[in-house]
Amino acid sequence: MSLVVQRSDVSEFRRRFRWIALGMALLFLGLILRLFQLQLLESDESKAIARENIVRRVTLATTRGIIRDRNGKVLAESRPSYNLYVVPERIDMQNVWPKLVDYLGVGVDERARLEALLTSIRASDGPRKSQQILLKEDISRDAVATLRTHDAELPAVDVVPVPVRSYPYEEVGAHVLGYMAEVDAEKLSQLRSAGYVEGDRVGAMGIERAWESYLRGTRGWEKVLVDAKGRRRPGGEGIIEDPRRVDPIPGRDLRLTLDAEIQRAIEKAMRGELAGGVALVDVRTGRILGLYSKPSYDPNALSGGSGKQVIRDAFRRLYSDPLKPALDKTIAGAYPPGSTFKPFTALAALEKGLIDPRASTQCRGALTFGKRTFRCTHVHGSTDLHKGIAESCNVYFYRLASELGVGMDVIAEMGQRFGLGTRTGLGVNAEAQGRMPTRAWMTLRNKGQFRLGFGLNAAIGQGATTVTVLQLALAYAALANGGTLYQPQIVRAVETSAGTVVQEFAPRVRRQIDVSPENLSRVQKALFAGVNSEAGTAYKARVLGVDMAGKTGTAQVSHKLARGAEAERVWYFNREHAWFAGYSPTRSPEVAVVVLVEHGGAGGKHAAPIAFEVVRAYQELMRERSPRAGVTAAGRAPSKGQGSAP
Amino acid sequence: MIRGDVSGRARDHFDWPLFIAAALIAVLGVVNLYSATSVYSGSRSELYISQVYWLVLGGILGGVLVAIDYRHLERLGYVLYAFGVFSLGLVFVLARDVRGSSRWIEFGSFRFQPSEFMKVFLVIALAKFLHDDPRSEGRTLKDLLVPAVLTGVPALLILKQPDLGTATILTLVFLTIAALTRVRWKSVAVFVVTVAGAAPIIWSYVLLDYQRDRVTVFLRPEDDILHRGWHAHHSRVAIGNGGLFGNGFMKGTQNQFNFLPDQFSDFPFPVYAEEWGFVGTVLLILLYAFLSLWAIRIASLAKDRFGAVLGVGCGAILFWHALINIGMTSGVLPVVGVTLPLFSYGGSSVTTVMMAIALLMNVSMRRYSAVPAPDRL
Repeated sequence: MSLVVQRSDVSEFRRRFRWIALGMALLFLGLILRLFQLQLLESDESKAIARENIVRRVTLATTRGIIRDRNGKVLAESRPSYNLYVVPERIDMQNVWPKLVDYLGVGVDERARLEALLTSIRASDGPRKSQQILLKEDISRDAVATLRTHDAELPAVDVVPVPVRSYPYEEVGAHVLGYMAEVDAEKLSQLRSAGYVEGDRVGAMGIERAWESYLRGTRGWEKVLVDAKGRRRPGGEGIIEDPRRVDPIPGRDLRLTLDAEIQRAIEKAMRGELAGGVALVDVRTGRILGLYSKPSYDPNALSGGSGKQVIRDAFRRLYSDPLKPALDKTIAGAYPPGSTFKPFTALAALEKGLIDPRASTQCRGALTFGKRTFRCTHVHGSTDLHKGIAESCNVYFYRLASELGVGMDVIAEMGQRFGLGTRTGLGVNAEAQGRMPTRAWMTLRNKGQFRLGFGLNAAIGQGATTVTVLQLALAYAALANGGTLYQPQIVRAVETSAGTVVQEFAPRVRRQIDVSPENLSRVQKALFAGVNSEAGTAYKARVLGVDMAGKTGTAQVSHKLARGAEAERVWYFNREHAWFAGYSPTRSPEVAVVVLVEHGGAGGKHAAPIAFEVVRAYQELMRERSPRAGVTAAGRAPSKGQGSAP
Repeated sequence: MIRGDVSGRARDHFDWPLFIAAALIAVLGVVNLYSATSVYSGSRSELYISQVYWLVLGGILGGVLVAIDYRHLERLGYVLYAFGVFSLGLVFVLARDVRGSSRWIEFGSFRFQPSEFMKVFLVIALAKFLHDDPRSEGRTLKDLLVPAVLTGVPALLILKQPDLGTATILTLVFLTIAALTRVRWKSVAVFVVTVAGAAPIIWSYVLLDYQRDRVTVFLRPEDDILHRGWHAHHSRVAIGNGGLFGNGFMKGTQNQFNFLPDQFSDFPFPVYAEEWGFVGTVLLILLYAFLSLWAIRIASLAKDRFGAVLGVGCGAILFWHALINIGMTSGVLPVVGVTLPLFSYGGSSVTTVMMAIALLMNVSMRRYSAVPAPDRL
């Protein structure tokens, strides 16, 4: 019938079915053992990895503390800025891109530039095309609103808020406040343990830098679920172990001693000059009311938010300007004080008992000493100490140094007692030390040769003598308050973001200078005359209603003829520095003011008017703010238009 | 005519254990596919429905196949085989590239994978050859040359697509069937030595870079977890994450959070293992083991050589698929694209498995035939 049966002899296979079955069974048993290993023995490790795979700890941003002036006006705060991120690979260049450009409102040039950027990334091989890239920084609020409403039609586009530091007073007081900069790799290696990460901004100058640890705040974190592509997923109960979240702690706010209105007044008063520095210090506390360096810069541009290009440009300008805007001229620049130093020479002589203040000497416009002629401003005629200070007679002081034995060391010592030539310890920005040259120092510098002429220069604050604006202001404050040298203070209190004061800093006395009240009052009188007597050097700068005592200075600068420099520039850089240092009011002094106009010329003409302008502004502000006598303006909201003090 | 072939007696001998085991796996497979594809949105999340359609289609095809006495296939053996090889050749002409590999032939919106069906055709061809070549003495390697060539031609074609997994399956199916025959011990020894000697040559000249990659990654998975070792690493983690009882249905985090690519095609097992734990995986392995061993039982009870080889061949297809797939996902074998029968999504795969099961059913139901041969007309 059929061939099948005949050919079918299954005996060949008979005994082999069992072997095959056994083989299969054993191999399956092997699999079960493997799963036993994976799912029971090694399960805990896998569970840990699986959890690690999906649980991410995301950091929660903190907010940097606000810096306010003494009346609560905001000097620095963080504002939200919005950056636009896109994933190049996932963006639809035909349909989505034109819309995005439209909503952003970018110009034709920028559009072409961004498009070229995207196209090149899309064509590249690297992983960059599948990652979010920063397309545009600090987009406008209008654009943000439009993008948010059209979010659904813009896949692969993200608007991310980033806090950016903002300085509402812009250039005014930039040096003191400082600015923010992205933390660089070197600094990051030191700061990583403190919780800094790549891309963080850190205070790079001024108070922002010095008080960084207070201002910064502490980041929080939150555990969230993410999938393999890093996208956030809701839920997580039972997967994420507690604690799930640690809230960020906002940074501390700072209350400064500075007064924004005074800063503004200083800026206004300095408008006529190119470069210089002004300090206004409360003589009763050492608190700094105003500290201004010119030329200034806009810390907003340096702190980012408008993009890296803006930062780069701003820095380029900052460092290519011959007027050195990067230098804080109130603290970091040391200048010869010129005649503003004369009160200290006088005090040195008086305290040592080397001179009779009533004794006069004849000024014929110059003093020949050795082979050199030391010049005076003009012929003063018969001059005593009072006139020497008030009318700024160099010859009088040359004689002190050359004939009456008031040596360099005596002068330097008195200067140092008033804090000159020593860092003030403000703690904000790098301070220049300045210098009170001693005989030994001068000898050393001149290869073992000391010339008496050095002492003559030192007596009138010239030569190797240098001070900073702030040092001089504190020294004049000490002259005004009877010899108390204060530690300068710029941060008055640390507050929480809710406004509670955490820490308040009391004024600190650096030292009580041991000078006789009699001698001090003699100098004070001379300073009064310097402004208020008809022959006083600052007399012409007087402003009605401003009661001031002070001293002008016109400090010669070392003549450096820059090679190839234009005549115009050389002329400027060879001009003297104009100084004025003083205090007000004369009876019970409140503030000391120092004005330095770099290469400004004569102190009485260029520096003194600015000082009067500043003090006048101070007085006006005080009158506005405290209608009732005896109430200080500090810490109060300005109460304008409530009448003036009696 | 055909109807008449399923005689009343054959119908009485319906193999319920085979059917139930297969049905259980299929149900688990669809349920698992539902969870596996739930991470997608759009058409991919509907794959489990398509899988049901494929199962139904495969069931119908299987029903037809059961209705025809398997002994008719003996005559068609080489024809089907030739058709299979021809289709494989066609792939190179009409192929559509899917991730660097051309495995598909398209007819409009319908596409199929000849390499899948080739497995069944090969088993039929081998069965026919051994049916026609009974020996009472032990075989030499020369006696197995024809079946080896029958296997080698499609295996090489498939390797060129390239599809290492399927080529491996064909080879293993052939070796299983060869193990069924009485081969001389000396020949076995020669064969083993030859393979050991040829392995380095195959490694260097036959395998493509990406295939070698998979093996190196398998040997040292920690080297490249983010790219080449991703599959192996995350599937092992998923299995381990299941623990004893599993995370529960739809609660496997490795799957739900997209750490298992291809979880609907080659990696449904980790999804299942993560959700059902050791208890679930042992159950599934027992089902596959039952199916494989039951196939061997069916083969051993077959009344003729053709049925016996057919049974072992179909059992081998199911066995090797299950073993290699679970082995590669659990990290004891390199990752080669081998599907898990009735768990992996895919029309060609499902229909092929259904055909294999139908053939087993066919052999099983006709083992009692008092009249062994149907009328040959």
